[in-house]
Amino acid sequence: MQTAGTGRYLEHDWFPRLLPPNVLLGPRSWLYSSYALLHFRSRRPVGLRIGADTGVYIGSQLEVGPSGEVSIGAFGAIAGPIIATNSRITIGDYALISYGVVIAEEPAMIPPGPPSATPNGRGRAARPIDIGDNVWIGARAIVLGGARIGEGAIIGAGAVVDFEVEPFAIVAGNPARVVGHASAGGARR
Amino acid sequence: MIDASQFTGAWDYATLPANIRLGEDCWIERRDSFSRFVSERDPALVLGDRVRVYTWSSFSLDRTGYVEVGEDSVLVGAQFMSAERISIGRRVLISYNVLIADCDFHPRDPDLRRLDAIANAPGPGRPPRPPISSRAVVIDDDVVIGAGAMILKGVTLGRGAYVAAGAVVTIDVPPGGRVAGNPARLEAA
Repeated sequence: MQTAGTGRYLEHDWFPRLLPPNVLLGPRSWLYSSYALLHFRSRRPVGLRIGADTGVYIGSQLEVGPSGEVSIGAFGAIAGPIIATNSRITIGDYALISYGVVIAEEPAMIPPGPPSATPNGRGRAARPIDIGDNVWIGARAIVLGGARIGEGAIIGAGAVVDFEVEPFAIVAGNPARVVGHASAGGARR
Repeated sequence: MIDASQFTGAWDYATLPANIRLGEDCWIERRDSFSRFVSERDPALVLGDRVRVYTWSSFSLDRTGYVEVGEDSVLVGAQFMSAERISIGRRVLISYNVLIADCDFHPRDPDLRRLDAIANAPGPGRPPRPPISSRAVVIDDDVVIGAGAMILKGVTLGRGAYVAAGAVVTIDVPPGGRVAGNPARLEAA
């Protein structure tokens, strides 16, 4: 399935839900199920964009409130994070995002949609998240509103990041700190 | 395709075990949140009025486990593991991927732990498990617990306490206190 229009199902789906018309799937991309959109309530013209050749695999959830939009670039491997926003989360090309990761505008959010009328982040300033190209995020890491992660950076497993990470930096730990840098042709400290 | 009701809170709550007591207007999104509920206490789980339980929450209650949740609390991704007692106050918000355990579930002593492994092996005719220590977890009203946090055996979180995302909490937190990190430390007010 290339593009989701109104009233379209994913061919391989097990969950009996239509894809919303504001979800755009790039060519040769893969979305494991409409279950990923269980709490997707975006009313933006494009609430979710998945780039070409990107896989969004089982366990991934897109918790997008009425004002929220999520964009994922090309050639990503999105292996089960929870992505939650009522503003904007942008993920570049070649993203590798592991199991159990949470990328969320607020540390404690209530999912949008019924039974609550409370959208994500209501009454608070929007805190977008920007993740550059070629970023690798390890298992159970947490990326919070205000984080800006530069190209080529590595976020270690279990790290908690709510700050700016410069390109090619390696951060790890909780609280997270820079533990090294990676550059093309080999890692250096 | 499957029946979506068991994933959307529209399933029949009367099919739950009789030792689960629900207050008025509770909402429990996913039937499978109870797949590891084996408590023999009565009551074993008490949810106050208007408690909301989202998809990622689970109630792993051992035969002696007990969990109570005060009114208007929101459990987004609270994974309870109880062999004794976990008490949650009113208006508590618990985010994604949070684990709350009142027990270590295995002995600290290596010899006893080997016996426990044997006792837990599959099939009939196994010896009884050795004694395992547990201590109640108490979380007071208006506490907020960020994504990915863990609250371990014997911890008390005072009224209005805040647990940062990813914190691993093994210490008591006074009313209004804030903890972060692994291991979690109390931050200066």
